[in-house]
Amino acid sequence: MIALALLLLAQSAAEPTVIARGEKIFAQSCSVGYCHGVAGAAGRGPRLRGRTFSKDYLLNVTRDGIPSSAMPAWKGRLRDDEIRAVVEYVASLSSATDPAPPANPMPPGIGPAAIPSFSGPPEAARGHALFFDPARNNCSVCHAVGGRGIAIGPDLTTMRTNLIGPAPTTLPLKDAAELTSQIHATGSRHVLTAKLASGEEFPALLAEQDSSQVRLYDLTVTPPVRRTFARRDVVSLTQNAAWRHEDFVHDYSASELEDVVVYLRWAATGR
Amino acid sequence: MIRGLAGAGLLAAALFAQDGSTRNDWPHYGGERSAWRYSALDQINRTNVGRLKAAWAFQTGKVDGGFNATPLVVDGIMYVSSSWNRVFAIDAETGKEIWHYFYQNPREIGIIYSPWTRGVAVGAGRVFFGTLDNNVVALDQKTGREQWRVNVEDMRQCGCNITGAPLLVKDKVIVGVTGGDSAHRGYLTAFDVNTGRKAWRFWTIPGPGEQGHDTWAGDSWKHGGGATWLTGSYDPDLNLVYWGVGNAAADFYGDARKGTNLYTDSIIALDADTGKLKWYYQEVPHDVWDFDAAYECVLFDAPVNGAPRKLLLNVNKGGYAFVVDRTNGEFISAWPVAENINWIKGVDSKGNLIGRNEPPVGKTFITCPSIGGGRQWNHGSYSPRTKWFYTTGIEWCQAVTVTPEEPKAGLNFFGGVFQLRPPMHGPAGGHLDAYDPVTGKKFWSYPSKYPLLASQLSTAGDLVFTGDPEGNFFALDAVTGKKLWNFPTGSGHRGSAISYSVKGKQYVATPSGWGSALAGLLPQLWPETEDFPPGSTLFVFALPEER
Repeated sequence: MIALALLLLAQSAAEPTVIARGEKIFAQSCSVGYCHGVAGAAGRGPRLRGRTFSKDYLLNVTRDGIPSSAMPAWKGRLRDDEIRAVVEYVASLSSATDPAPPANPMPPGIGPAAIPSFSGPPEAARGHALFFDPARNNCSVCHAVGGRGIAIGPDLTTMRTNLIGPAPTTLPLKDAAELTSQIHATGSRHVLTAKLASGEEFPALLAEQDSSQVRLYDLTVTPPVRRTFARRDVVSLTQNAAWRHEDFVHDYSASELEDVVVYLRWAATGR
Repeated sequence: MIRGLAGAGLLAAALFAQDGSTRNDWPHYGGERSAWRYSALDQINRTNVGRLKAAWAFQTGKVDGGFNATPLVVDGIMYVSSSWNRVFAIDAETGKEIWHYFYQNPREIGIIYSPWTRGVAVGAGRVFFGTLDNNVVALDQKTGREQWRVNVEDMRQCGCNITGAPLLVKDKVIVGVTGGDSAHRGYLTAFDVNTGRKAWRFWTIPGPGEQGHDTWAGDSWKHGGGATWLTGSYDPDLNLVYWGVGNAAADFYGDARKGTNLYTDSIIALDADTGKLKWYYQEVPHDVWDFDAAYECVLFDAPVNGAPRKLLLNVNKGGYAFVVDRTNGEFISAWPVAENINWIKGVDSKGNLIGRNEPPVGKTFITCPSIGGGRQWNHGSYSPRTKWFYTTGIEWCQAVTVTPEEPKAGLNFFGGVFQLRPPMHGPAGGHLDAYDPVTGKKFWSYPSKYPLLASQLSTAGDLVFTGDPEGNFFALDAVTGKKLWNFPTGSGHRGSAISYSVKGKQYVATPSGWGSALAGLLPQLWPETEDFPPGSTLFVFALPEER
């Protein structure tokens, strides 16, 4: 795919329409705030105006970002053709010698770049918004889906069995309402009760341990806290039968949880 | 008049209800939690500062994004953080490292609030800091080993993280969040120092059913900014935590969030135990300029119309210092720290903004000051000896083009673009000034070719220390503004100097290391600054031994 894109870049002389398109995308996505500045005139990010970069380099960096830097990977945020247009535009800036960019960098009436924040089907969109809803004690402070959220447990994209049943793809999907009540009622075999030498006791998930220390997620409140103890300070770790999901999902109504289930099922199964 | 001031100040200092002076230690980000950045040490003073010499230097080893921190000193040990969340404990007398902790950030941060950090909090046997990937971490103060950490929110989802220093109040560590230029809803969170468990959270944008929610049109409250990206103050007598709240988002495009947009651009006063709002004061209703109220809250007492008052001073990014009564939020005064201000014509006697000059959508418009502010975030200093406030100001403007923008979770949310422009009057540049903190009367001004982007430190030796972008670290006479001492550190200053004492000897310490978001913008007006060398070195100074 990259090779193909490179080939295309090499073959096509930069057409004015492509550059103009790249200019708009750049203005919306790359010049903003503390990044590359208007028309690449420098910001928090490096100046691009009046500098020569190879298009291969620009393409790689724009697509994949620069590790250990503020330069993000734009693949997934911009379409391939949009990234290529930006590359053509940045390449066209190499001959710009005027330090002052155009007076009006973005023509009026140009809207923001269309970067959908959720690309799934509409029926899953509501649950997606609820899962990540920053305004409440939300699912994503303990769970991740598709790499988003804080995964102290497994990414829920992989929870096919729970969402579909024991034999995936052959059995009908479980009823959303039934799953919702399960979310409320179920505990988890992974949740432990940690007892410390100090007498403190709390529901915990085991994060990691070695010969000298134990790391536990303290589940007393959200967000969970990863706490590190010397082994001798942890008296016992036993299965916690009392822990229930219910105490942590009370920010959601039953019907909202059903929406969340619809979203999770789509994320895990594609339907 | 000026000669008599220092002596009178000494007397007055003894009467202060809240003494914000530091002594041997520099225990909190702002010195003490009243954010004076004033040291009562006077071994180094106006008569001998000319003999100040470098005692030692410390390299953090990671040069990226500038060295933006305030070091802390507790019982002869310095705690300091640098870019990419490197944390060090250093013998404050010798410069020898005691331990270091390099936090493992993901390789790609991908958000604009990185990779600088502004400092740590120390107490309860721990060192606390926030991370570029939005964790709060507690280390054992003696060993530097991790005790707990909590991921506050997925940074990819919120487009937010933590670059400010936490504030320690009793058994809680209070931590702000960036995200004011992202589609994010801001908050302030307190964690239990022992367990890391969340103790309380205050949303800087009220949710449905909460008072102030109706100051946001539609769903705009969900992505309305209100970051708490710097460090607040604390008054133990009132048990109130004060925190400055940042701009409303989108920064420039406000049509989708009609209303005053509480509590953006406001000072909030919270009960330290519960996080409940006691009062607020909004400096800029419905901000369309990115004029945060996020800078330091300086707590000081002074007479107003003859009656003693407990006051709070906050310099707004728009270039006005606001003074309010810190017991109830009553407006006292507002005065400018920069000359080139055109977004308002002024502030009336009740605190209302006069003559708002809002950039229209879709047209290029000149706004002064620029998004970088009539002052940057680096903090001013209050001296109880002169009873003056020392702060910087910047003269610059910008061409801004406002465009409608939809919020997208985790991504920037500016609602426009900007380009720095020279000011309307006089050359672009900066200055450091001494003011009466209540009236804004200016006593002296130290001009600078470039904006001064480091904090001020004032001392009982009647000195004001700060650094400039060219790498000079220098001392001014606090009473006259005259430069008394200069030391070239080789890289520009974006951090905050402190003073402390070990075994009866006074030291002055400063981070040196050019970089940061603002440093990156400077070439738009001063092309030569693009080649200013970055760095990340802590310099420590003391007087040579008497022979």
